[in-house]
Amino acid sequence: MGKLRETILNPLFKNNPVTVLVLGICSSLAVTVEMKGALVMALSVTVVTGLSSLILSLIRKTIPNRVRIIVQLVVVALLVILVDQILRSFEATYAIDKQLSVYMGLIITNCIVMGRIEAFALGNKPLPALIDGLANGLGYGLILLTVAFFRELLGSGTLFGIPVLKALGYPGNGLVILPPMALIILGCIIWIQRSIDKELQE
Amino acid sequence: MNTNGNTYTVVYTSLVCVLVAAVLAVASQALKPRQAANEKAETISQILVAAGYGEMEGWRKAGNAAVLQCFRDNVEGEPQVYTPSQLKAQNYNIKHGKQLSLPVYRFKNGVTVLAVYGAGLWGPVWGYIALEPDMATIAGAYFDHESETPGLGGKIKDDPSFRDSFKGKVIGGDNTVEFDAISGATMTSRGLKTAIDTWMKAYREN
Repeated sequence: MGKLRETILNPLFKNNPVTVLVLGICSSLAVTVEMKGALVMALSVTVVTGLSSLILSLIRKTIPNRVRIIVQLVVVALLVILVDQILRSFEATYAIDKQLSVYMGLIITNCIVMGRIEAFALGNKPLPALIDGLANGLGYGLILLTVAFFRELLGSGTLFGIPVLKALGYPGNGLVILPPMALIILGCIIWIQRSIDKELQE
Repeated sequence: MNTNGNTYTVVYTSLVCVLVAAVLAVASQALKPRQAANEKAETISQILVAAGYGEMEGWRKAGNAAVLQCFRDNVEGEPQVYTPSQLKAQNYNIKHGKQLSLPVYRFKNGVTVLAVYGAGLWGPVWGYIALEPDMATIAGAYFDHESETPGLGGKIKDDPSFRDSFKGKVIGGDNTVEFDAISGATMTSRGLKTAIDTWMKAYREN
C-alpha cells in the first residue's frame, strides 16, 4: 500500500516531471497564458500518459525489443489524435482546441509521455502503470496550472476569462503574457521547491 | 516465444499499424459531422463579425445555435456557406479562369460580405471583407489563417487593430486596397494582399 501511495504522490511533488525531472518545458511555456487552455492541455496530457502507459504495459511482453520505441510512438500518436479529434467535435472545446492548435499534436513529443513508458510502464503491471501515468500527467498539470494562474492573473488581470484584478482597474502586463515570463515563474517554483526539500539540493 | 525474430517483428509492427489505422479511420468518420458543424458555425461567426454583428468572443460563448439563428435572421436569401476548404477550390478556379460561384452575403444592415483566400507564409490565409452599399468602401473585415506564426503573421487574426485598420479604406479602380503590413510578418501580409487583390478583381469581373 505504501508503494501505491508513493506512485501517486511522488510525481506530484518530490519527483515532479516538470520541476524535478525538467521534462515538458516547451509546452509549459507555450500554453500557460490562460487557465482555460492550460486546464484542457493538462487534462489531455493526463489522459494520454495514463492510457498509453496502461496499453503499453498490457502488451509489454509481446513487443519486439528492437522496435519498442516505434510501437510506443504509434500508440501515443493514436491517443493524441483521438483526444484532438474528440475535443474538436464538441462546441464547448472546439475553440480551445483551435487555440492550442499545434501544441495539441505536440503532446506526442512531450518527454513525460515517452519517458514514463520507457522508465515505468514497460517494466510494471498494468494497474501501477496506469496510476503512474495519470499521476505524472497530474504532476505536469499542477505546474501548468500554477504557472497559468500567475500569468493570466498578472498578464490579463483575469482568471478563466473572469475579470479579477481587471475589475479593480489593473491594466494588464504584456511582459507576463510573453513566454519568457513562464520560464521565470517556473524557475521560481523550482527554487522554492529545492529550498524546502533538502534532498533535491546538489 | 521469441519476440526478437525478424518475421515476428515485421508481422507485429504491421498488425499494430493496421489496428491503429482502423481505429483512427472509424473515429474520424464517426466524428466528422460534428466537426463539420463546428467549422461551419465558426465560418459563419467570422462572417457575422466582419459584417458588424457581435464579436468573436461573444459568439463563442453564445454557441452554434445562436450563430446560425443570427445569420438566418440578418442575411438576405439563403446563401451557401463556404468553408475554408471550399474557398480553396474557388481560389483554384479564379487562377485558372474557370466558371466561378463566389460567396456573396448581403446583410440587412446594408453591408455585403465577400470572401478572400490565398497563400500566407506557412499555409492558407483567408478572410471576409464587408463592403458599404457603394461596393467600394470597406465596412469591416475578419481574417483567419491555418498556421501562421503566433505573434507575427498570426496577428492578422489575433490583433483587432489590424482588422480595424481596414475600416473606411476604399477599394480602388484597379481592384486593389492598400493597408499597413505587420512588421515581422512580411510574407503573411504580402500573401494577404495578393489574396484580397485577386479576389476583389474576380468579384468585379463577375
